[in-house]
Amino acid sequence: MRIFQIQRVTAVALLVFMTIHMIVVHYPPFHIDFSIIVERMVNPVWKVVEILFLLSVLLHGLSGAYVVLTDYKQVSKFKKALALVVIVAGIVAFSWGTYTIISWRLPA
Amino acid sequence: MYKTTGFVSFVLRRFTGVVLVLYLLLHIWVIGSAVSGPEVFDQRLNAVQTPLFKIAEIALLAAVVYHAFDGVRLLLVNWFKVTDKRKNLFWAVFIVSALMVIAGGVPILLFMLESK
Repeated sequence: MRIFQIQRVTAVALLVFMTIHMIVVHYPPFHIDFSIIVERMVNPVWKVVEILFLLSVLLHGLSGAYVVLTDYKQVSKFKKALALVVIVAGIVAFSWGTYTIISWRLPA
Repeated sequence: MYKTTGFVSFVLRRFTGVVLVLYLLLHIWVIGSAVSGPEVFDQRLNAVQTPLFKIAEIALLAAVVYHAFDGVRLLLVNWFKVTDKRKNLFWAVFIVSALMVIAGGVPILLFMLESK
């Protein structure tokens, strides 16, 4: 899959996920703390939704950043190295984020 | 070239995109503290609830909303034969985004003043 195809598919996914995220988490604005978020995040369905959201946003954001950076002549010389950095960053962020999502549980 | 709607939206798309990626990494770091338990999480979350961050949140909302509607515009241009309407679509993105930022931003300001 080419990068622009990744952007298309994840863009459509993000329109759905971001709408859900804004309505459920932020609108209208209310006080947020651990005890409030955990109620929703113990639900396995929400865990799956959040992991898919995280995957889409990382693919979209990091591919986008890669394209923006490699459009600079000075950077495009190091395309391969940059691709490696972006992929590693993506894997680290996805692992950390997924671990966070899975870890949400009611305090004992 | 620099004054065409195409160029302006190109620059804004990239600028908001890069800002959003940087925010995303910060966001994962803040929410990631949940693995250390409620105390650490609430402490880190409180650190980003100050009035300054609330104002930044409105800028963040503007970046998200504009980037999203600009994306919808690109999808429309791509899927349907609306290239002759592209200037109207460009302005429509601004107007719809501005309305959404007002609709979302005012409650953020009110909430900020209330919770003081």
